[in-house]
Amino acid sequence: MEQIGERLGAPCFSKLSDLPMARSSLTETAVASRTRKRSHRSRRAEAIVAVLFLVPALLLVLMFRIIPLFWGFGISLTSATATDPGEFIGAANYLRALDDPNFRSSMVNAGAILLAVPFFVTIPMILAILIDQGVPGRGFFRSVYFFPAVLSSVIIGSIFSIVLGFNGSLNGALKMLGIPGVDWLGRSSTALPVTLIIQSWSTFGMGVLIFLAGLSTVPREMVEAARLEGAKMWQIWWHIIIPELRPIIEFSTVITTIGLLTSMFGLIYVLTGGGPGTSTTVPEYLIWTAQGRLNQPAYAAALSMILFAVTGILAWLQIRMLSRNANL
Amino acid sequence: MARVELKHVSKSFGASQVVHDVSLAIEEGEFTVFVGPSGCGKSTLLRMIAGLEETSSGEIFIGETDVTDAEPSDRGLAMVFQSYALYPHMTVADNMSFGLRMTHRPKQEIAEKVARAAKILRLEEYLQRKPAQLSGGQRQRVAIGRAIVRDPKVFLFDEPLSNLDAELRVQMRVEISKLHTMLGNTMIYVTHDQTEALTMADRIVVLRDGRIEQIGTPLGLYHDPDNAFVAGFIGSPRMNFLSATAQAGGRLAVGGIEIQSPVPTRFEPGTTLQLGLRPEHLDLREGPGLRATVEFVEALGSTCYLHATLATGETIVAERRSSLPRTGDTITLHFAPASAQIFGEGGERIR
Repeated sequence: MEQIGERLGAPCFSKLSDLPMARSSLTETAVASRTRKRSHRSRRAEAIVAVLFLVPALLLVLMFRIIPLFWGFGISLTSATATDPGEFIGAANYLRALDDPNFRSSMVNAGAILLAVPFFVTIPMILAILIDQGVPGRGFFRSVYFFPAVLSSVIIGSIFSIVLGFNGSLNGALKMLGIPGVDWLGRSSTALPVTLIIQSWSTFGMGVLIFLAGLSTVPREMVEAARLEGAKMWQIWWHIIIPELRPIIEFSTVITTIGLLTSMFGLIYVLTGGGPGTSTTVPEYLIWTAQGRLNQPAYAAALSMILFAVTGILAWLQIRMLSRNANL
Repeated sequence: MARVELKHVSKSFGASQVVHDVSLAIEEGEFTVFVGPSGCGKSTLLRMIAGLEETSSGEIFIGETDVTDAEPSDRGLAMVFQSYALYPHMTVADNMSFGLRMTHRPKQEIAEKVARAAKILRLEEYLQRKPAQLSGGQRQRVAIGRAIVRDPKVFLFDEPLSNLDAELRVQMRVEISKLHTMLGNTMIYVTHDQTEALTMADRIVVLRDGRIEQIGTPLGLYHDPDNAFVAGFIGSPRMNFLSATAQAGGRLAVGGIEIQSPVPTRFEPGTTLQLGLRPEHLDLREGPGLRATVEFVEALGSTCYLHATLATGETIVAERRSSLPRTGDTITLHFAPASAQIFGEGGERIR
């Protein structure tokens, strides 16, 4: 019936055309210029308000990110300690890093961690697609999966050092099944993989949420069309849903990479302290050791600059890939 | 090609029932249009035939097969969606061949079918483009092409022209009708636009609130509606409904005058009725005349519509082909009582 209403409604509006609408062109111009002036003024006021809101954040970023970055670069070229500003020594700290076996193994560990990025991206994606297919209790899964993301890495580290300790509950459970216990965090072959699994457990909820948001933009009719055409479930995933999620996959890859390189410190500090040996020492842990333990802020600054450069280059490569595919 | 039959089909979403006991047979090769206002259940009914919505009760047959619980892909249907539902990351050719590729048909067959569909729909030069590089009309043609390559028993169209502009809509309407003539498949087409229904359908199913109001040919529904809803929905501008009161001797008081009742049914004097008059039936030189004041003249070139008010305050739309009055003029609208239709107070047609 709305249709009919619209049809009947139209002529009523046309009646307005009978009203005396003529206005002198002079008045019209005056009104137009006044409106223009007013809109110009209000636009400027809006711009000022916008700038006022942006400035505090800008100042914070400048003060705590940009200035320390340059400051740190300056320090990295000196022999400074906590009490002594030291003197300019050029690239000596960087050359020392190249010779430092701890640094080299931390870079190897970082490389190993990066190999895990595909798992960090695909596991949340698969879980999100499964939730999105309409499993009963969708909200329940979403909250349960997200729950670890609200825990601090210190709490997570503490929980898992209890569970995974040699006399911990995991080995206890294995013993009941007749399987000998393993010192999960005390063996160099298992410490890094176990740490990565814990990191993935504590962060995948956020990934699931990001993918669920992405999935809500995949048109339902597209999946229905594929179903009607006889595509099987996995074919729909592979040919329709995953290509549609491509921007989300790329976004998730970038933030996961940055996250793995720069925010595993808390977990490693609590779980393994970088050991055994250097098997879980990552660059950011090494930076902390140089600064906090060895009182070598200049060397720590040089390591920070290297980590910054590596993360920056990786992010740049990934963003380039992302924008190249933007027209898809 | 196949016949489609619905037997006592109903659909509920939770507590709300959206399709009520619909029974309907669509003959092989027929072009059937489901039409009705928004929320009348027409799209739900189509999606139930497609298998995209479960059927709460009743049975659906395609050909001789009961497909009520069959998977969408096992029903031998192809569907064209309002949003086109093209796969944006695939070329036109890949979009059209998607279903065939997924069901592992031979490459030769796929190439032939895509080429044939592209030729029918004049898409040959666009085969390597992505949907984003096509216009709305071209995208809809790709969606139709995707349906054609599958050689379906039945084509389903869910408001396929709603996203197109007016001119393109008219053009695509003609193209889809031609396609039906050429392919001869059974087609079911859902629209809220009665003009599409009138111009394309072999048979129209008018739905309201999940119930069938009437099934018939376009002209059948136009000239012989079963109730005031169908009479008002089919035809543009819509039929005029005037309040009428039965008088003694088979006469009716309507719009300030009295006429002889056009139907043999005898009414108790004082019975309230509705008199339905199509705008084009109010352009006579003689016969009973309704006095009316012209409010607005809608000139469309070949014809004009007068929007006028009767002495009773009711509004009326009349078609005029010559001698146009002006706004404010008082005119007499003559009509033949036999062209009028009588509806009861509840909207039912009285013959």
